[in-house]
Amino acid sequence: MNPALASYAEAFERFTAVVPAPQRAARRERLNEFLKLGFPHRKVEDWRYTDLSTLATGSFINASDATDSLSGAFLPRTDRLVYINGHLDKTQSTADELSDWIAGDDVTGDAVAALNAAFALPGLNLKLGRNATIARTLHIVIAGHPQNSPAMNHQRHRIELGEAAEATIVFDFIGLGDGAHLATHTLDIRLAAGARLQLYRVQNERAGSTLLTRIDARLARDSHFEAVCVDGGSGLARHDLNVELAEPGAEVIVDGLFMPVPGAHIDNHTRIVHAAPHGRSRELFKGIVDERTRAVFNGKIIVRPGAQKTDSEQHVANLLLSRRAEIDAKPELEIYADDVKCAHGATVGQLDETALAYLRSRGIDAATARALLLRAFASEVLDKVEPAALRARLRQQLNLPAGDSLDIAA
Amino acid sequence: MLEIKNLHATVHGKEILKGLDLTVKAGEVHAIMGPNGAGKSTLGYVLAGREGYEASAGSVTFDGKDLLTLTPEVRACEGLFLGFQYPVEIPGVSNLTLLKAAVNARRKYRGIGEIEATDFLAWVRERAKIMKIDPKMLSRGVNEGFSGGEKKRNEILQMLVLEPRLTILDETDSGLDIDALKIVADGVNAMRSPDRATVLVTHYQRLLDYVKPDFVHVLAGGRIVRSGGPELAIELEEKGYAWLEAA
Repeated sequence: MNPALASYAEAFERFTAVVPAPQRAARRERLNEFLKLGFPHRKVEDWRYTDLSTLATGSFINASDATDSLSGAFLPRTDRLVYINGHLDKTQSTADELSDWIAGDDVTGDAVAALNAAFALPGLNLKLGRNATIARTLHIVIAGHPQNSPAMNHQRHRIELGEAAEATIVFDFIGLGDGAHLATHTLDIRLAAGARLQLYRVQNERAGSTLLTRIDARLARDSHFEAVCVDGGSGLARHDLNVELAEPGAEVIVDGLFMPVPGAHIDNHTRIVHAAPHGRSRELFKGIVDERTRAVFNGKIIVRPGAQKTDSEQHVANLLLSRRAEIDAKPELEIYADDVKCAHGATVGQLDETALAYLRSRGIDAATARALLLRAFASEVLDKVEPAALRARLRQQLNLPAGDSLDIAA
Repeated sequence: MLEIKNLHATVHGKEILKGLDLTVKAGEVHAIMGPNGAGKSTLGYVLAGREGYEASAGSVTFDGKDLLTLTPEVRACEGLFLGFQYPVEIPGVSNLTLLKAAVNARRKYRGIGEIEATDFLAWVRERAKIMKIDPKMLSRGVNEGFSGGEKKRNEILQMLVLEPRLTILDETDSGLDIDALKIVADGVNAMRSPDRATVLVTHYQRLLDYVKPDFVHVLAGGRIVRSGGPELAIELEEKGYAWLEAA
């Protein structure tokens, strides 16, 4: 064991008593795996730009529950699970029955996944049968409330949709204050034939937080998975999104927007695997980066042998607001089938000075003109956020002006 | 209203305007003609405050205020409008958004509250009619997918909506067919009033058949080399500019 990780081993001993007995042995194995692997560092290719090694000496204790009213974040016409520091807040939740301990996972060789598996508290466990639909959007509020000493919490979630089942789910990560805090979340998604899932993952963490999320989705025949990911917020965030189009005719659409505030570090790693023929994938990530922020995007598309007639598009567009801003964007394409259509493009640019000058010549001050252009850039992704209240909140959080909704034809 | 004295201006370190004098009074329409490279567009940009167009000497006052010290947006709020020769496309920012932001910027500058949405839309709709622009096009991005003629008409629409006191139109007539030219001229004429002034920068006499100028100036080599009445434009159309440049 890496001696630096002793605090995690100790934390586990205190934690294990609350875990359901049948899960304890497996979790201890995952702890040992984590202790052996240690946190990933820069020499690991997948973590080249996001170094977690300082977390080793963080001496995080398991966060205790806290109370905080999250009503300001509630979305109308949704059912809700509210977690604060990993603990379900029953008074603010309306769908308690969907929260449960989740056992078993098949991700090995990944230190963060192992850490999560060892310590994971109950999370969303949604299982829909054939043709089932959830009546209302499910809003999962995941709030971190900093404590006097560095605290951590880990959660595991699962979404299983049966044949032709449908659901819309919002994962809403909210920081309630500055301070050292570590949170990991894993989400397993399994879509049976013809199932449809609309997922939102949005984040507004605060300074000092480390948020590590990992989504693994497996898509069966003709299923449809759409994910919109929006990162504002501060702190360090790393998101892994792995999608496997396992059977013919599956479709995935991923849209992402990141706009870190100064001091923030946001790392998105996506991996879309076309493992069967006639799959379709669309991916669009947009980033707005200023100086003193760090953003990483790595998007891998893999077309396996036999995944003929794959139709895949990936677009990455980044806007650098300052000469000193930096983004590490890396699209990767691996194609092992010959009858496929794959397009990808990555751009890095600056705000259009000519457009800015034009707006100013009409009397619009520089700050407003800039905000209008940033909104225009971000809209392509933000407009995909269907719940209006969520879209409005994200706009505000990203300091983008509200739309005019002027209808001159009326 | 506008008083330009001995204006020198450089673009990328090269002197383009070399001692230009021009006085425009309220109620007047001035036409500035001249050969390519004379500095006509530069004059518009310097007046509007475009970055990279620096006045190196001389003075410009607008209603007694030193125009050259003001930011482009304050110049616009003061009542200056430049119609661009090449209007830019701004996908994602609709024409209505631009117009509303511009209207409200002026109102804020004058210390009054934002315009009501219904008043704003009625105001724009009425002016779009003059310019024969389908209001539906205004929900699109600024000039996005507009033809050359539509872009120019859109510039004049912006002028009509914003009601500037001094309008400078930089070759708004170039590239227009005769119908579009008439629409543009109608728009410009609609704005003529005793307390407003217009400066038309143009290559051709054609526009001046529809918008009668009070004064015509010839800009060559960075200076006004000749001024006269509307008859000067006709003379230029016949003789070209060479005889003036040689003089």
